[in-house]
Amino acid sequence: MHKGDMVKKLLYALITILAVLVFNYILFRVLPGNPLAMMMRNPRATEEVIEGIRRFYGLDQEWYVQFFTYFRNLFKGDLGISFVFKAPVSQVIAARILPTLLLVGIAELIAIAVGIGIGIIAAWKRGSKLDVGTLGFSLVTYSVPTFWLGMIMLVIFCVGLRLFPTSGMFTPGKSFATTAAMLHDLLRHAVLPILTMSLVLIGEYALTMRNTLIDVLSEDYIVTARAKGFRERYVLFKHALPNGLLPMITIVAINIGFVVAGAIQIETIFSWPGLGRLMYEALNARDYPLLQGIFLLVTVSVVLANLLADITYSYIDPRVKN
Amino acid sequence: MKRTTKIFVSALLVAALCFIPTGCGGSGADEGISTFRLGSSTAFDTLNPLSSYMQVTYEFFLLVYDPLVRYDENYDPVPCLAEDWSVSEDELQWTFNLAEGVTWHDGEPFTSADVKFTYELMMDTGLGYMYSFYLDGITDIQCPDADTVVITTETPKANMLMNTTPILPEHLIAAIPEENLEVWENESPVGTGPYKFDSKGDNFVKIVKNEGYFGKLPTMDEFIFVDYENVDAMAQSLMLGEIDGATNMNPAQLSQLQNDKNIEVISGQELGFMQVGINCWTDPASGGNPILLDRTIRQAMDYGINKQKIVDMAYSGQGTAGTTLINPGDFFHYEPAANELRTYDPDTAKALLDAAGYIDKNGDGFREAKDGSPMEFEFITIADNVEEVKSGQMIASDCAAIGIKIKSTTMDSGALYDRIIEGNYDMFIWGWGADVDPTSILGILTTDQIGGNNEPFFSNARYDELYIAQQAEMDETARQQMIFEMQKIVYDESPYIILTYSNNIQAIRSDRWEGFRQIPEGGLYFFNLTDLNYRDIKPAE
Repeated sequence: MHKGDMVKKLLYALITILAVLVFNYILFRVLPGNPLAMMMRNPRATEEVIEGIRRFYGLDQEWYVQFFTYFRNLFKGDLGISFVFKAPVSQVIAARILPTLLLVGIAELIAIAVGIGIGIIAAWKRGSKLDVGTLGFSLVTYSVPTFWLGMIMLVIFCVGLRLFPTSGMFTPGKSFATTAAMLHDLLRHAVLPILTMSLVLIGEYALTMRNTLIDVLSEDYIVTARAKGFRERYVLFKHALPNGLLPMITIVAINIGFVVAGAIQIETIFSWPGLGRLMYEALNARDYPLLQGIFLLVTVSVVLANLLADITYSYIDPRVKN
Repeated sequence: MKRTTKIFVSALLVAALCFIPTGCGGSGADEGISTFRLGSSTAFDTLNPLSSYMQVTYEFFLLVYDPLVRYDENYDPVPCLAEDWSVSEDELQWTFNLAEGVTWHDGEPFTSADVKFTYELMMDTGLGYMYSFYLDGITDIQCPDADTVVITTETPKANMLMNTTPILPEHLIAAIPEENLEVWENESPVGTGPYKFDSKGDNFVKIVKNEGYFGKLPTMDEFIFVDYENVDAMAQSLMLGEIDGATNMNPAQLSQLQNDKNIEVISGQELGFMQVGINCWTDPASGGNPILLDRTIRQAMDYGINKQKIVDMAYSGQGTAGTTLINPGDFFHYEPAANELRTYDPDTAKALLDAAGYIDKNGDGFREAKDGSPMEFEFITIADNVEEVKSGQMIASDCAAIGIKIKSTTMDSGALYDRIIEGNYDMFIWGWGADVDPTSILGILTTDQIGGNNEPFFSNARYDELYIAQQAEMDETARQQMIFEMQKIVYDESPYIILTYSNNIQAIRSDRWEGFRQIPEGGLYFFNLTDLNYRDIKPAE
């Protein structure tokens, strides 16, 4: 692929991000609800104090001044101060990025690996009991409401079998003697949320992979390959899969991009300190800076993931390469 | 194949690791330290007493900071930072003798200057939501010496000893510029209280016993507030023993927990109520339906709403049908006389509406006003509160039964707040939390609070007059009479239809802990505005 093309793609990505940021900025301010009123629920605060708060957050400026200030600060790396937490937005978000990546990132990886695996097996052994079984499993997990599944897992594994703690990322208030102890505590808390999330995500990958592969397996060149005498496994891995995996790249890319958006339902049930829950709280409080910060993160992540998928496509798909 | 076997085996090993039990995350006395974990579904917003609004944070301040005076289990004042006090003949000057040998958690000595600083800071800036409110009427504060504070008030101040404002350390806060006070993070709170701040994390705040406390030491060594996003998970956690206590639970958990022998669960009355707010704004700029300005309609709706049924159905029986502004059982509660009490009586409601000329002329089942405009009102509830939405639905059908059409809408609290401030609504459901001093809850409906807390835009000159007078009435019985009259005014005018007095469902692991009780009687274990349970809870024998 030409360098010129690469640069063009990068440029488009940047323009997309900018457009989304502007759109979000306007969207949040169009919402009913006044953040200053919600911040200052104190009816006794004197006029000076309210003015001071307004000035501190820059809310006393004209709308276009606020707009330009936001983007100017953004390019300097300053995301503003959160109305709710009264701390720098970058700090508030940074505290929750790692837990989010841990939860959603690992769950996605597991779901992708297992989901695609199941899809391949199901398509390959189409019509067999294995296919019916895995298809059923995928459909069920795909349709199951996340919240309900979470509660069931909690009841079975925490309450019933007493295997895992019910909530949080660490045991609250506990201090750890060694890093190993801390990691162990983290692991015990993370297993159930990650497992639940994986189950929820598997269905999509399994079903799509199965359908794509079934399509591919009915193509003429597969018939030819079999006619040539190649073993089934060879046909599958060397001819079918490479074509079948192409559409999966797009889906995987988009979903990986959304990893930083968190998983609000899972985070709620397991009290996991993720960005999904943070987004919800920020929205409720009309915390513009925090909302904008989170959406910035998600936008950049999704656009970047798509860009990477685009580039990957052009490398592995010979039809696009030339 | 080999590679997949390796991956499979390592995955198994990782899984196996998780099953190794650690010292079970339970509490009680392990290694000789008693730790109590309290789960709550209300989170901490900030540790700054000047800018926090959350219930659980106020509990934290109650333990880490001290006020001059605290409450006992009958809500009478008992000494804290103030050892004793006296008031002058003209009732305008209070002298507080402070306890000696009190130190801040960082070792600095506590003096009267800290009291003066804290009070003046809050009065000057108005920061400290409830706390600055208690300081109304104070005109001057003097510190004749390090152990004495003399406070002068404009008029006699009836609630001077109901003031739980935490005293903050001058030596740490005086340096902060005023415009930064609201956003000051207070990362390591320093107070004089029975507990010291220890640490905080994503979902917990930990405090430890202050060994150098000047008063009676608490019995628990450590106390951890744990934040739960989901109440069901919290109840499970309690039953598993991961936490020792839980608050603010739903009626759904009540029956579940009652069956557990290791848990003591209560449904205690909380100070405050849920109300139907009705737009009483007389200004033409009001966005509310002008028909509602006729108080007959508001009273008729009060007759028409089946409050007990709402308590039973929406709140699973956890609550009490409401009447007047102040909770029953409180010294200041006004119980309407038998001939003025409005019970559930749809026939009387219909009769009232008929007599006032609201009749269904066009036969559609709903009444019209005399000028023909339909009696149709928009009713707003907050979407993510299940009980309120359900109450709203029941009220809509109750009103339909007496010929009033209700159009139900839901929105989030931010959007509702906007509508209320603009006066652009007909009716809504929301709630208020009250205090031991009735001044705060009475203040809501004063003319001053229009554009602020006075959601219905209610204005009554006599009410405003009494509001000022009751703050200056030192004689309790006389004050009670004034407050009775105020409640009667509100009951007659009905800008609020008080639906229920709320209950807070709380539970403690009684197999591990003892010494706790409901404060006051029929009240709560936690968030009861006293620190008594925190002082007395100890591991069960």
